[in-house]
Amino acid sequence: MEPITISLSGRIDSNNAAAVEQDITEKLASAENAAVVLDAENLEYISSAGLRVILRLKKSHPDLRISNVRTEVYDILDMTGFTEMMPVEKAYRVVSVEGCEEIGRGANGTIYRIDQDNVVKVYNNADALADIQHEREVAKLALILGIPTAISYDVVRVGESYGSVFELLNARSFSHILASQPEKLDWCVREYVEMLRKIHGTLVPAGKLPDVKETALDWARFLKDYLPKEAGDKLVSLVEAVPHDDHMIHGDYHTKNLELQNDEVLLIDMDTLAVGNPIFELASMFNALQGYSEYDHEVILKFQGFDFETGKTFWRKSLAAYLETNCEAKLQEVENKARVLGYTRMIRRSIRRGGLETPEGKKEIEFWKERLLSLLEKTDTLVFSRNELEIEAATERLPDVQSFIGERLEKVDCPFKAQMQIGVAVEEIFVNIAHYAYAPDKGCATVRVEVNEAPVSVSITFIDHGVPYDPLKKDDPDVALPADAREIGGLGIFMTKKLMDDVAYEYRDGQNILTLRKNL
Amino acid sequence: MRWEKRCLDMNCPKIDFHIHTVISDGTDTLPVLLDKVREAGIEIFSVTDHDAVKAASALPQLRQQGDPVFLPGVEFSCRDEAGKYHILGYGYDPESESIRSAVDYGHSLRMKKVTARLDYLREHFGFDFPPGELSQILSLDNPGKPHIANLMVKLGYSKTKEEAIAEYINKVRIGGPSYLRPEQAIDAILGAGGIPVLAHPFYGDGDQLILGDEMKARLETLSGFGLRGVEAFYSGFTVRLIRQMLSFAEHFGFYVTAGSDYHGKNKMIALGDTGLDQTLDYPEGLLRFLRDTADRTR
Repeated sequence: MEPITISLSGRIDSNNAAAVEQDITEKLASAENAAVVLDAENLEYISSAGLRVILRLKKSHPDLRISNVRTEVYDILDMTGFTEMMPVEKAYRVVSVEGCEEIGRGANGTIYRIDQDNVVKVYNNADALADIQHEREVAKLALILGIPTAISYDVVRVGESYGSVFELLNARSFSHILASQPEKLDWCVREYVEMLRKIHGTLVPAGKLPDVKETALDWARFLKDYLPKEAGDKLVSLVEAVPHDDHMIHGDYHTKNLELQNDEVLLIDMDTLAVGNPIFELASMFNALQGYSEYDHEVILKFQGFDFETGKTFWRKSLAAYLETNCEAKLQEVENKARVLGYTRMIRRSIRRGGLETPEGKKEIEFWKERLLSLLEKTDTLVFSRNELEIEAATERLPDVQSFIGERLEKVDCPFKAQMQIGVAVEEIFVNIAHYAYAPDKGCATVRVEVNEAPVSVSITFIDHGVPYDPLKKDDPDVALPADAREIGGLGIFMTKKLMDDVAYEYRDGQNILTLRKNL
Repeated sequence: MRWEKRCLDMNCPKIDFHIHTVISDGTDTLPVLLDKVREAGIEIFSVTDHDAVKAASALPQLRQQGDPVFLPGVEFSCRDEAGKYHILGYGYDPESESIRSAVDYGHSLRMKKVTARLDYLREHFGFDFPPGELSQILSLDNPGKPHIANLMVKLGYSKTKEEAIAEYINKVRIGGPSYLRPEQAIDAILGAGGIPVLAHPFYGDGDQLILGDEMKARLETLSGFGLRGVEAFYSGFTVRLIRQMLSFAEHFGFYVTAGSDYHGKNKMIALGDTGLDQTLDYPEGLLRFLRDTADRTR
């Protein structure tokens, strides 16, 4: 049955409540079971006598709904608990963004400043009310979990779509700061990364936010059909292999979505909030700060307001701060993983926007595809760890390995002497892997640094996929013999054993795993 | 049969402690009301006519064996500098001088208002009221605006009752005290051994909206005057309002009552519709009210 709509107008108070009720009763006399909608567009005021009429109506017509409610009336219905008892839909204020400054842009909408104190986020799709509701809920959740963000206080009509209004006093986006005050770049990096760490350090109760991995899997599966079979399969399995993570991900973490309000840094545009592995976040950061503009450097200027070089520098410095490393090899490793996902997303986006139908679009897609394919060849996992370095097993990469380990040892205040000893042992083991593990081919090694509690010690683990080789099996050389009488080799591992407190080897899942331990 | 045993047996009897009859502005006579109370399955009830205690002595004479239990009641209209109040009184001695004089005073104020209103309407708008109709109004126990309004409609001076009240009757200004003060009503009820309870607290005298701190301040003042309870369950309250009033009741140590404000045909309120859910445990304040008024029922 069609719902019956009854218009309310003017004031409803003790003077006319009975007449209004009589009127409603008459209108509903012939349709007892119909759903009823009270259209409150012209209702200016309702007193408790009027509230009682609505309450009685609700008792006789449980499907009652009130629509188009003005703010003043809505406040009364809200304070008295009517909004909990029945659907009450606000009448939406109409706001124009004509000539307003655009201060942010996300996947689902654009943020404009409407006056000195307020901004409105206008959603791209016309049916945005559900999205607005979603964003409100996740923003509240984020706030409860300790992420500073703005919560919208009103929903308005903007043209054909809807917008949510936030109070944002005196705020400037990080894009704006980077564009107008390049000397603040380092400060921006620090704040940007601090917020990022806070987000990624936030555990989200199960089921509260979507899993970003599902979205990434959609991208990968979409792209599979456009890539050579082997590469497509590898891409999907790489995403599938990323373990589930219940920590928060912003999903669109770029410099327009970070606002400096007075002295406080606020995160906005929360509709993409999710949980998942941080690599997915890094991928979207890479895209926003660099990836999207790699083909056409002008893109970033239009979108963020600063140039390609600034974006690239900001991305690299942020990544280094986030990973707490200046080791170029480590940065490259993680950036490459982020690029795999980043290019995947960009190619899919271009294809979906008809990129394959224009010569220019095709060129762009080819440009990214070439990069993606070359990255896929040398990528075995999308997972990264701050304490792990994946690196080509080649002697010329030894300085990278040493600097990566050195940084980590510095962080735990490792004594100088122990650092030197570890350095000698690391050189011995890494050079060994570089020479023998994959010869005559090339391959990769993983170096992991861990700090243990009891006894306080540092463990350094080397992992390679090369030929099985247990260096500990070799008998210790007889160091009492004169040099020319000794067997060649074996002295290095002997020294390593002497310098370390423990050296252990195992061969597992096709991997040589050698662990050094040094007590501190 | 006293309801105490029944109440304790079943714990959550169906109740309605706020009902009007023809003694004030309701449309049911006492016998008709009693029939309806029986029919509605209400087990304990009270008649709370405005500024009138007639039912307190008249109704018990109509009751028969096994009938619903009756608790004497009254609803005083009060006003002071801070606003308007309706104060209910329960379980008082209807013969007591204290309650009688308050009712008489209330009645005299009402008569004064009715007379003043009729005079004004005559003088300023030139309405002519036939003597027969006038004496009929003045002979009522509790004449008020609705009665004058009905007469005006009947005489063709106004199309509707609402218009009569808004356009004409409410224009009348009355000098001097025209209402009891809340402390007077509370004193009268306490003096007659009754329990004073604030009716529909959030709605003032029926059409205001008093929320939050304002509500709390009002309860503090009335508590100081000796108020003992609040009508937390009321036909016009939402679940949220009921919950809030229950928490106020707990804070102040008030009794809790439940009432519909049934007026017969004059308002579309069903008898027994108090917002109280019989399937849930009754709050402590309400159980205490039922226990403490058990020996005052008739």
